[in-house]
Amino acid sequence: MNNPTLTDSGLAGGVAIVTGGSRGIGRAVVQILAAAGMEVIFTYRENSEAASEVVAAAKDGKITSEVVDVRDAAACDAFVEKVIEKRERIDLLVNNAGVIRDNLLAMMPEEDVRTVLETNVIGTFNMTRAVVPHMISKRRGNIVNISSVSGEKGGRGQTNYAASKGAINAFTKSLAAELAPRGIRVNAVAPGVIETEMSRPVRELAGDQIQSRILLRRIGQPVDVAHAVWFLSSRFADYITGEILHVDGGFKME
Amino acid sequence: MADVIITKEEIAAIYPKVAETMADALGCDLEEVKPDASLIDELGAESIDFLDIVFRLERGFKVKIPRGKIVEEARGDLSESEFEKGGIVSEAGVARLKTFLSEVPAERFKTPMKVADIPRLFTTETFCKMVIRQQRVAEASGSAQPA
Repeated sequence: MNNPTLTDSGLAGGVAIVTGGSRGIGRAVVQILAAAGMEVIFTYRENSEAASEVVAAAKDGKITSEVVDVRDAAACDAFVEKVIEKRERIDLLVNNAGVIRDNLLAMMPEEDVRTVLETNVIGTFNMTRAVVPHMISKRRGNIVNISSVSGEKGGRGQTNYAASKGAINAFTKSLAAELAPRGIRVNAVAPGVIETEMSRPVRELAGDQIQSRILLRRIGQPVDVAHAVWFLSSRFADYITGEILHVDGGFKME
Repeated sequence: MADVIITKEEIAAIYPKVAETMADALGCDLEEVKPDASLIDELGAESIDFLDIVFRLERGFKVKIPRGKIVEEARGDLSESEFEKGGIVSEAGVARLKTFLSEVPAERFKTPMKVADIPRLFTTETFCKMVIRQQRVAEASGSAQPA
């Protein structure tokens, strides 16, 4: 049973960028990719304490962090340039940085519309646009975008967030078509209700009944999502592109 | 933008490196890359290849080539409506293109010409000129900065 073809994910030795990697799903993704042997550089915006924890936990120095506001295109360009200068390659980009500002549309401040779309959508554009030319030149690469169950199913109070994640799904499919000729795969993972700080207000609002709407009857953990990212990044998913992989325990929206 | 005169010598000086870049980006033999080879029709380039070529030239020559600006640049002093109507390049537009893309053999300028088909005209030399123009821009902005 010790078949190397089923244990080698093909990730070891590669270089990955993960945006928003200091906490929650991003942190779990950073950790799993590092465990798979990748060198991981993650970005974060302001929580340097959380970022330091992640870096310190990786004793082999394979995880590093940089402060980057993904809404700033020039900052993304400069960051990617710095990564390339040192490592000369980027094998994987995980666009995970995202924010949530739930509210009923009629009550939603314009700033909350803007913040969510700028971080979740424009931020993904900015970082991807900075990375893609390097992948095209190398004729290899892999992009995984973190979407959400809201991107397809929608939910009350989530017009801004759902719109941003719907955009990510469409972005994923279009970019997959663009980059396929160069052997670059683009996929997305759409998590359901996951136990993170970011989703706490949503979970609290929904109360205990939320689990009854999840077929597997439990809230997901960040590592559940990280496993899907690992799979899509690995050689086991070599023939998968333009796909939205749902990791939601069978979550049913109302 | 006023036309700039680019000499044969200037093109010859950078041609080998540009040709090598083309061959690398398109995955073809260096011998296939000729100065007047149409990148799309003869070398099989797709739009994504243009991005790669520009990116490699930027890194190879340490210049910044504005993305998607070549058609705008080719238009010169003509307004958009003078240059094209409904995606078809006007007569004045074609004349302007012939001047801007003087390296392209005249018989390749077919009329009516679609704006979308302009990249079909681009040759290896077109990219040499693109690099030279940007080198001059960089020199000009460099000299304008305090030492």
